[in-house]
Amino acid sequence: MKRCGLLLGLVPFLLPAQSLQRAEALWRAHDYVAASNEFDALLKAQPDNANIKVRAGQFYFERYYPDDASKLFQAAIAMDPKNAQAYLGLARVYEENFSGKAKEAADKALEIDPKLYEADELKARIALEDDDQKGAIEAADKALAIKPDAVVATAIHAAVDLLADKESPWLAKIGNRGVGYETIAHFFVINRRYEDGIAYYKKAVAATPDLWSAHSQLGVNLMRMGRDGEAYKELELAYNNDHTSDASTRNSLKLLDTFKDYKTFETSTTILKLDKKEADALRPYFEDQMKFNIALYEKKYQYKLKEPVQVEVYPNHEDFAVRTLGLPGLGALGVTFDTVVAMDSPSGRKPGEFHWASTLRHEMSHVYMLKLTNDRVPRWFTEGVAVHEETATTPDWGDRITPEIITAIRDKKLLPVAGIDRGFVHPEFPAQVIVSYFEAGAMCDYIAGRWGELKLLDMAHEFTKNVPTVTVIRDQLKIEPEAFDKDFLADIDKQYGNTVKHFEEWTKGLGELNKLSRQPDAKPEELLTKARELEAIYPDYVELGNAYLVAAKACLAKEDKQCALDEYAKYAKHSGRDAEAIKFYAKMLDEAGKPKEAEVALDRLNWVNPLDQDLHQKLGGLYLKTHDAPLAAREFQALVALHPIDAAGAHYNLAMAFNAQGQKDKAREEALNALEAAPNFKPAQKLLLEVSGDGTSK
Amino acid sequence: MVTVAGLGGETDYEQRFTLLANDTDKILKSGGGADRVVETFKGADSTKAKVTAALNQIASQAKAQDVLVLMMIGHGTFDGTEYKFNLPGPDISGTELAGLLNRIPATRQLVVDMTSASGGVTPALKKDGRTVITATKNGMEKNATVFARFWVEALRDPAADTDKNEIVSALEAFHYAQTKTDAFFKDQKRLATEHAQLEDQTKAAAFPLVRYGSAAAVVNDPAKRDLVSKKEEIENKIDALKFEKDLMNPEDYKRQIAALLLELAKTQELIDK
Repeated sequence: MKRCGLLLGLVPFLLPAQSLQRAEALWRAHDYVAASNEFDALLKAQPDNANIKVRAGQFYFERYYPDDASKLFQAAIAMDPKNAQAYLGLARVYEENFSGKAKEAADKALEIDPKLYEADELKARIALEDDDQKGAIEAADKALAIKPDAVVATAIHAAVDLLADKESPWLAKIGNRGVGYETIAHFFVINRRYEDGIAYYKKAVAATPDLWSAHSQLGVNLMRMGRDGEAYKELELAYNNDHTSDASTRNSLKLLDTFKDYKTFETSTTILKLDKKEADALRPYFEDQMKFNIALYEKKYQYKLKEPVQVEVYPNHEDFAVRTLGLPGLGALGVTFDTVVAMDSPSGRKPGEFHWASTLRHEMSHVYMLKLTNDRVPRWFTEGVAVHEETATTPDWGDRITPEIITAIRDKKLLPVAGIDRGFVHPEFPAQVIVSYFEAGAMCDYIAGRWGELKLLDMAHEFTKNVPTVTVIRDQLKIEPEAFDKDFLADIDKQYGNTVKHFEEWTKGLGELNKLSRQPDAKPEELLTKARELEAIYPDYVELGNAYLVAAKACLAKEDKQCALDEYAKYAKHSGRDAEAIKFYAKMLDEAGKPKEAEVALDRLNWVNPLDQDLHQKLGGLYLKTHDAPLAAREFQALVALHPIDAAGAHYNLAMAFNAQGQKDKAREEALNALEAAPNFKPAQKLLLEVSGDGTSK
Repeated sequence: MVTVAGLGGETDYEQRFTLLANDTDKILKSGGGADRVVETFKGADSTKAKVTAALNQIASQAKAQDVLVLMMIGHGTFDGTEYKFNLPGPDISGTELAGLLNRIPATRQLVVDMTSASGGVTPALKKDGRTVITATKNGMEKNATVFARFWVEALRDPAADTDKNEIVSALEAFHYAQTKTDAFFKDQKRLATEHAQLEDQTKAAAFPLVRYGSAAAVVNDPAKRDLVSKKEEIENKIDALKFEKDLMNPEDYKRQIAALLLELAKTQELIDK
């Protein structure tokens, strides 16, 4: 008993070294659960040991728990501000999320330990992700000076050459080290050269067959290209061997499993994948827009795709989000991989939260830009053209300038054209990606306005030759990039200067206006005056609490219908899309004897939320009234597909629309469907007799 | 028909409940027969004393063949044992409510409790001949409900009349409100905090809440009695065929139902002549 007591007394003293060795050994032996337990015990036993925190952080980072790793590295830095490995670990976590803080952390690591070549390699990666090739090569060379065979630095050199379509002597130096090819593949992928990326991931797994991260990424990218069978094999291989905790592998596999719940509709130019539950309702609207966009872009970009465009529509936002994991930038609503577009379904978000048709037009512009330039287009340009296209054909689509963009303009945070790409990849402030989308779009609007729409196509053609942005600006616009920036900012000031200048006043005023509008004794005239002042300052603001809708209500309070109609018209013109407000506007237009204008107002909502039953009911009714039977049929077909409460009514209206087109058989079938739901539905009985040639009804 | 809008607590709820009660009152008065009696309590009037007095008065006047409909809008609470409907002043408990309703001789009673925690009232109100609809599954669903809003919408929206007989029954209104409530939570990407309940669908179908159009018109012409009988016969055949649908060859079903529906339409046309 005494010996036991002695041994127990020694345990706490020996525990750290023994546990760390055991944790490391278990980690090397791929026994990750046991290693994790060891690290946890060690962290508990030695809460003040920064080195243990760093090592545990490295373990958790490798095992796909970046948040835990980040906390451990930060805790280590708090205890030991001179811990270079902790800074390097933190830099890696930041870099994986494309955070703008990665470089700063890597610099700090090098400041403490100038021979930490992995930090130079990381800086090289960050620079190349920002398309800063010079910076990437400099950092890679620093790493190679310390460690001549550093594989990531070697791969960075090779990637720079390969991205420029040059043969690279550095490739041979990678040899059979799969990590090097994996690094190259990463750069092809983030430059949207997915097929090249796939080829290099294949090289990586050929060189190092147990490089499971490369198997996983190979699977993810095969899936992006619609090669689901091959993708599944690679993802399953990674999952079964190593990647059970990796969200990208696990969720991609889960997503592939859900594909059985999708219906695929194919034409010679389109492939549309929709969830079975909403396929029949969404199909007409999506196919219509896909065909419209193809015709539009074929003409505009003078380019005919050699293969169909595939659009995948996800009702579950998390399924869509799987498609964008590991990619820089926002990709919040849609993403394009070569000719495959993945996007949120209108049902994936709160009704009216996003304009799906605008998103589709944006993404399909990418398809053309990527194909047209053989994937050599820089990020800012393809995003800029895509944003430009959202409103180029239909000005009341697209997203309007938001308060955070106004703030960025005010704070002079727009980037020069030569460096705008980094705003997408490594944002330095939370809204920078959104601001960069806006800025790139505004630059393309400016180019189209000043040099003509065709100039965008000329620029795209030059990008095909893998020419940098500054050269293309000089060649095509005959202007120095700095001069372009100056002129562009002057144009921004012309458009938004008033909003920026009075932004504080507007913010305060909008709050006051909304508060006043809630007072029962508020004077309509006063509300109207204040609302119009605010509209003049920031005409693009159509979100919650906007001045147009307050003004419209004030007009109605003074029983001035025309005044209300004018306010709603301004709201719609500036892309306002609150369904209840637009429906009310359409009702007023119809009551004012303008059913055609009411149709236009309501039809806009189809491109926002085609799953709105009430919308189809109202719009279908209007089309019947104005004798536009084909469009009435489209609306009632969508309504029937949504399984409304009033199924009989929907089938009956559809029967009416078919009958109006002279399609008696279809009309009879729908009348029967209505009567099956409600056998004594008299109008449907009359219609059935009429289209069946029975009875006396006419 | 009695509608009670309880205590709102906050101005917003107070206004909302009163608005719903006003709408219900208006719809029920315009959408019923001359023999329908509609009473509505709202705001400061919806006290326990007034509601009790009204139910006692109904108990003294109603006959066995009468139909009683009680609709409750507002907040409710459930302490694990007893449900309470929040009213200005003292609340009324589920047991007290059951006592009052039990004294009413009407053998067909419908209680639509649309408050939070309303599922907690069901055990107390259980009785033969009484149909209970609640906005929540049990007394533990305590968030303010949206069911009432869609129930009232059902009473005024012809789309709720799914069988197109120009009558919105309690069953149709329930389905309408339930579907819209589900859609509300789904659209808002929120976890549903209420799950409406109805125990007996068949009985609920027999409670006409709102009539419109020519639904009340009765065919009194003796010359048409044969046609009416024939119509009922066809309706029965349609119901029987629908019952068999899942067991039948789809083409056979389609052919047979089409023939019956066409025959029904022709018969109706002759009746309407």
